[in-house]
Amino acid sequence: MLEKRAETPVELRSYGTYYLVFSALLILGTLWAVVDEVDIRRPWKEYQSKYYGLAASKLDSLKIAALTDIDSTQAAVLKQMLDSTIAGMKSTEYVNAASQKEILLKQLDVVTNNWRFARSRSDAAYYQYQRIKLEEGREDGKFRKEVDEDDSSAARYFTEIGVLNGKIALFDEIVGKYRNANTKALKEYQDFYAKASAYESKAEKMRAAPLEIKQVVLNDFELTPFQEIKARVDRCQSCHLGWRDATMADAPEPFKEHPNPELLKLHNPETFGCTPCHRGQGPALSVGDAHGDKDEDWHTPILHGNDIYAACNSCHSSETILEYAKPFTRAKQIVAESGCFGCHDINGFTDYSKIAPPLNSLPAKVKPEWVFHWVKNPKDYTPHTRMPNFKLSDDQAAAVTAYLLNMGKESDFKLARPRGTYVGGNAAEGKKLFETVGCQDCHVAEGFTKIRDARGTSYDVAPELSRVGSKDNPDWLFDWVKNPRHFNPETRMPNLRLTDPEARNIVAYLSTLKDERMENTPPLDLNNPEKIAQGKSVIREYGCFGCHSIKGMEKEGKVSVDLSDFDRKLIEQMDFGNTRELPENSPVDFKADSEGATWVKHTWRSWVYGKLHNSRQYATERIAQKMPVFGFNDDEIGLIRTFLISMTKDYPAVKYQKPNDTRLHEIEAGRRVIGQYNCMQCHNIEGEGGYILAKYDDPALGPPILPQSQGAKVQEQWLYNFLKGPTPIRPWLKIRMPTFGLTDLEISKITKYFLAKAQKDLVIRDYSTMAVDEKYLAPGKKLFQTYQCGKCHPSGPVTLGGETSASDLAPNLAQAHNRLKPDWIIDWLHDPQKLQPGTRMPSFFYEGKGPDESVYGGDADEQIKALEAYVWNLGRRSSVVTLAR
Amino acid sequence: MKRRAASFLLVGVMVASQLMAGDVTGKVTFKGKPPEQPKINMNADPVCKKAHPGAVFSEEVVVNKNETLKNVLVYIKDGLSAKTYETPKQKLVFDQVGCDYKPHVLGIMIGQELDIKNSDPTLHNVHSLSKLNGQFNRAQPMKNMVMTEKFDKVETFKVKCEVHPWMNAYIGVFNHPYFAVTDDDGSFTLKGVPAGEYTIEAWQEKFGTQTAKVKVDASGKVTADFTYKGN
Repeated sequence: MLEKRAETPVELRSYGTYYLVFSALLILGTLWAVVDEVDIRRPWKEYQSKYYGLAASKLDSLKIAALTDIDSTQAAVLKQMLDSTIAGMKSTEYVNAASQKEILLKQLDVVTNNWRFARSRSDAAYYQYQRIKLEEGREDGKFRKEVDEDDSSAARYFTEIGVLNGKIALFDEIVGKYRNANTKALKEYQDFYAKASAYESKAEKMRAAPLEIKQVVLNDFELTPFQEIKARVDRCQSCHLGWRDATMADAPEPFKEHPNPELLKLHNPETFGCTPCHRGQGPALSVGDAHGDKDEDWHTPILHGNDIYAACNSCHSSETILEYAKPFTRAKQIVAESGCFGCHDINGFTDYSKIAPPLNSLPAKVKPEWVFHWVKNPKDYTPHTRMPNFKLSDDQAAAVTAYLLNMGKESDFKLARPRGTYVGGNAAEGKKLFETVGCQDCHVAEGFTKIRDARGTSYDVAPELSRVGSKDNPDWLFDWVKNPRHFNPETRMPNLRLTDPEARNIVAYLSTLKDERMENTPPLDLNNPEKIAQGKSVIREYGCFGCHSIKGMEKEGKVSVDLSDFDRKLIEQMDFGNTRELPENSPVDFKADSEGATWVKHTWRSWVYGKLHNSRQYATERIAQKMPVFGFNDDEIGLIRTFLISMTKDYPAVKYQKPNDTRLHEIEAGRRVIGQYNCMQCHNIEGEGGYILAKYDDPALGPPILPQSQGAKVQEQWLYNFLKGPTPIRPWLKIRMPTFGLTDLEISKITKYFLAKAQKDLVIRDYSTMAVDEKYLAPGKKLFQTYQCGKCHPSGPVTLGGETSASDLAPNLAQAHNRLKPDWIIDWLHDPQKLQPGTRMPSFFYEGKGPDESVYGGDADEQIKALEAYVWNLGRRSSVVTLAR
Repeated sequence: MKRRAASFLLVGVMVASQLMAGDVTGKVTFKGKPPEQPKINMNADPVCKKAHPGAVFSEEVVVNKNETLKNVLVYIKDGLSAKTYETPKQKLVFDQVGCDYKPHVLGIMIGQELDIKNSDPTLHNVHSLSKLNGQFNRAQPMKNMVMTEKFDKVETFKVKCEVHPWMNAYIGVFNHPYFAVTDDDGSFTLKGVPAGEYTIEAWQEKFGTQTAKVKVDASGKVTADFTYKGN
């Protein structure tokens, strides 16, 4: 027998409290999970509802503005009309007519039904009648009677319907009169308020808009590092909702309208997304993660300020001028002009020529003490030089001087004229020439910086000459200004076609520009073989051959790192040397304190700033820095940094990139030549340049701008001859288009560039044998006189001297037939402003009409043809030789 | 419907406030020595020379006998409501007479028609150096030619003739009717200005702009005077 248990094994402790607590926790946890999922982790929802609210309220105020904007008198008239038609609908006539019509309609219903039934009965009876007739062969009187009766009643009802319809039509006319008046008045009233109602309905739509993630997916946008296709997902527009909403122009972020709607027409965010241009982390949905600047594992955070333009390069790397990215265009210009590619490999900069002169014939050109001072610190001789400061010691500088001058002894360069040919110039005349003929337009001297300022760079492209008298040998200077290509066959310095006396005067003037400091030069041991060898190794170490061609060093590689993927360099890979770290929340990225210590924030951007500001500051006793100090200003540093941000190998798939087609290829080849010869110093091309115009009160007295249509304008053969040996088009201008000594290939590149910019193909034509339609000549002459073309355009020999009116500053039309393309003359006469915005040439033709109606009835097309024929024939008829300088 | 009724009320109030309007009058005084105006040489075109038997001077600064300035454009700069004002149907005329623009300074409303006329038997071209309204440059080679222009942006810009480089004039485009150009006595009146507080600006081609604050009461008259100083 089982022993009875002493006590029942029942748990006596109460767990109620635990259950309560844990259940409460579970409930709270569940609630928290729901709240987190629906709200906390969806901050975009709040932005969206804020946006829709803001948009609705903006539309509301637009609606109110539209309402207050209306003409109150007209509003009152319309309202009165509407009211009177509403009143009309209550008039006895209308009410009676309407109720009569109702009654009649009901009667009509009844009668129509009766008519239908009568016809059905008749049909049924007729069927029976026919059936009996066929089956039994007899006429059945009963059914025959029924048929006849029903037919006659149907006819009666039909007449009745006609009568009723007639009555109804009468009332209808009355009712319709009132109703139409009312509809018309209502429509006019609504149309009058249409603008306001449109705003109202849009506002309603905004208030009803659902909260949802807005995303753009580009399935094949880029490749992973493993060369697999990777999609780009952008959800930026979930918060940035107002980008195309003009009412959001002054709204706060993230609702503000995009500042450049024109650009968005080419890069539609609805299909292209935002991150291809702005960077950031597209799929993320909270601010810090989406912008990528609070997510330290995200390496392409959102770009700010000018840095945004860096992203353009991902698809437009083959272009150097981008219409919508002016700062980036400028950044590329600075990189090209500063010769960064001399020491660094840079994607897109492989086909530029060295920016500095060759150093193989120095003894003929310069004084040895100048070479010493120059290599020691070029910025001391001229602060605006592009040559950076390598901070060489006296010893190193003397060694480099010794090497270069010694090597130069082997040069086979010989002056074209005997030594001393330069003697006898007049410095005062030389100064005048220097200022007018063109020298001053590239070279600064004696504090005339207007053009440098207009150019706006911290460096000069042509050397400042304020101390050149202590630099160059006068014999060499004479040789040089007479024909720069004699000394350096690749120089960009053009030939200004100076006569011997002119060249002597200029040399005399330049020789007066001295630098007294040259006298304090330590003795230079120029022939010491040890020094010479040391010089060679310094040159190799610092890579002088990156910018200069130096005999024997033609095959040297680049001395510094490849920058083509510099943007992806990580902060861990950057050495800050002995500089001190600025805290992350510091308002500045970089500062130097009064004790000479420099402070840098430990970010990519700050490191780059510091490096470009003073390239030697991250050097320590153990880690030497060879990059020289350039002396860029802050603006330039910012732009170069923008350029470096663009240097990434993370670029989109080929189909997203701007195709480097023939036309673009031709344009870029032309841009290289134009950049190489600094054409933009004088001419405004593609909206850039024309810096020397800063010195003219009247821009018409300066070099012409070269518009987009240039390639459609001049004949290829003329352009070739003009570039080979410029002939004056506007002989009264003092400034001369120089002879650059361009090669045939370079001229072809420029020709194709102009054609490509004008969207034209190269077509070979013999313009000299082009026939003129004789019938146009007489009317053309008459129009030429009536329209007084000769008031501004000479069309024969020009005598210089005396008073030149500004109105004379138009090209000589006797040159037209061998300079211009006939089609261009026609387009030009149609609308000069269209081809060259801002031109002084007015349009004579408007809306298809010319002012003189006595010729071709004023028909613009015919008149223009006549003028074109006459002008084309001008120089040929008279065979006038226009003035040659 | 309720909302619409409220709008009507608002319109009513606006109309009423329009009725309470006053005039702003004033004078533009010139103190100091008037700058010497360069003499214009019209030798280049015999037609122009013939039109002026005596010497002709630039109109850049014209000081009247009562020591006031002519050709100063005075207008309300700030303070008007955002409403659109009706465009006057009346056309204005901008004439080229004796190789000179008449008037030298002209105010016009957006959308108002301007007849540009050549009264000279010589070629003129009218080149507007406008930045916002789109430049035009049209020739009028025959006497009595007229072309009609309209402007759609608020802007004051220069007009010049390339054939006769001394010819220039200024056109001020406004989105309201409250502007005036001072005449031979240097005074101006802005008529029917609705009650309110305004910034009035005076613009002179050489001396630039000056501003004054005024408060216009219902049907009151307010004065705003400006003084330019010579060197």
